[in-house]
Amino acid sequence: MTAPLLVLEDIRKNYGAIEALKGISFSIGRGEVVALLGDNGAGKSTLVKIISGGLEPTSGRMLFEGEEFQAKSPAAAKAAGIETVYQDLSLCTNVDVVANFFMGREITRKFLGIPILDERTMEAEVAKALANAGTRIPSLRANVEHLSGGQRQAIELNRFVHWGGKLVLLDEPFAALGVEQTRRGLDMIRQVASQGIGVIIITHIMQQAFQVADRIVVIRQGVVAGDLPRSNTSPDAVVKMITGETLAGTGPAGGRAQ
Amino acid sequence: MNARTRSTLEFILDHLVWFMLLFVLAIFSALVPNYFQIGIFANIIEASSVLGVMSIGLALVIISGHMDLSVESVAALGAMAVGILFCSAGIGMGITLSPEWLMVPMSLLVAIAVGGSVGALNGFLITKAGMNAFIITLASYIWVRGLVVAVSGGRSAQDLAPAIRWFAIQRFIGLPLTAWIAILCFVGFSLIMAKTPFGRHLIMIGGNETATFRAGIRVKRNLIIAFVLAGSIAGLAGWLLAIRTSGATANLGVGLLFNAFAAVVIGGVSLKGGVGSLPGVYAGVLLLSSINTAINLMGLPANFTQVIHGLLVLAAVLLDTFKQTLRQRLA
Repeated sequence: MTAPLLVLEDIRKNYGAIEALKGISFSIGRGEVVALLGDNGAGKSTLVKIISGGLEPTSGRMLFEGEEFQAKSPAAAKAAGIETVYQDLSLCTNVDVVANFFMGREITRKFLGIPILDERTMEAEVAKALANAGTRIPSLRANVEHLSGGQRQAIELNRFVHWGGKLVLLDEPFAALGVEQTRRGLDMIRQVASQGIGVIIITHIMQQAFQVADRIVVIRQGVVAGDLPRSNTSPDAVVKMITGETLAGTGPAGGRAQ
Repeated sequence: MNARTRSTLEFILDHLVWFMLLFVLAIFSALVPNYFQIGIFANIIEASSVLGVMSIGLALVIISGHMDLSVESVAALGAMAVGILFCSAGIGMGITLSPEWLMVPMSLLVAIAVGGSVGALNGFLITKAGMNAFIITLASYIWVRGLVVAVSGGRSAQDLAPAIRWFAIQRFIGLPLTAWIAILCFVGFSLIMAKTPFGRHLIMIGGNETATFRAGIRVKRNLIIAFVLAGSIAGLAGWLLAIRTSGATANLGVGLLFNAFAAVVIGGVSLKGGVGSLPGVYAGVLLLSSINTAINLMGLPANFTQVIHGLLVLAAVLLDTFKQTLRQRLA
């Protein structure tokens, strides 16, 4: 058993008098895929934003690679190796596919000391990345506003696969994908995890969670209502945890990694 | 529709303002006596240099999804600062430096620094304090103009130092150097917007600020730089204005803001942010200038220019909506 990649200890988040998270504790190991399940408003997206640096927790502690870590901004989280794919798409529709793929990480070459965008190299890299993932987009130079919802989500997914990092957070990544693309997306997640990257995936679809996850964490009303290895549970049991019929108790902090 | 016609149509839509400019020039050349002359065309470019430079700064900020109403007043402040320091008559202090050419970089520095500091204040208040760009820059539009009137006491500065005036007199390929400065600015900033990560980031911030923040782009820093640039460029426009009028008056440049907005909108920049290019803005500036020239040549009362500019802005917005629907049909 190696040290877990990320440990959350008693994370709380209040919005005024409302407690969105009432003390969340769980952990994820390297190469592990954790499915985060819960009803609407359970606090899943809030939790993801806290891990990815978009929100600061009211209290609680996070350990990333054994060290205390709290990202102050998405940029800081990215620098530490935490990639996020958000529920509402994070693409700039007014620029082309290549610009979106390299958003904030453009490849440049220096000309008289001034960084100049290296469009040709970037386009070639995007073409390669999309071809590897089997995604077809007619023109990489087309503005994203002209692409379908599925194509947009494919760009986001390929972007995180390409950049890798150490931990990937996926907030309902398949909402706009077709059957075949979803299957490919799930394959992509396993492939990413096999490289030793931790993956936290939020989904509403039980079947997806059981297809891809090593462990299932259920959040209900701001607390962890269940934290179980996939092999020890069943969709029916998880549904009961989500709706609150059974309470399996909060999971232990740390030490659940494979 | 095959790919060829589609790409041709896309090209025309992307550069529509240039076609409009050519069309207008052709019409005027055919109908207005004495319009078709090299001298007239040179004059169109020359007359548009101040407005052109100012429009660059405004366009940068609007493309990044914000607004800067203060550019006109900032230009006046820059011009007044240069006027007070380097004019020898009126309220001018008549500072001379030796060698004389040293006054050129010094005056330029003063104008750009004055503009840049107002821009920095705007940018700071808007991004760090999270206030609305429209209100903050409206306030700057008012207080900066007030400052111009206050420091000048309502009087004017005349007789700018000849070493600085030289830029308005000296010609290169038929155009005064001031016009070349405007052209260089357009080329330079067009390259920055199209070819550098900074320009790309501004466009993306204008398109989806949340996405760029999540992607780790330092949004606030980029926006502050954009506001500082807009202010500095407005200061440069003020410098050109001081040279052109050989001094500065308290009401210098009043009304330029609306022309700048007109040029930016006609040039294809969307007020929603994220859309537009600087070459288009230059075409918009030239379009306004060529219409002004035609009105002058025809001997119409100058008030008509304002009516025509207003209608032109309306036409530009209508055209933009039309372009959007056409594009959707193309996609």
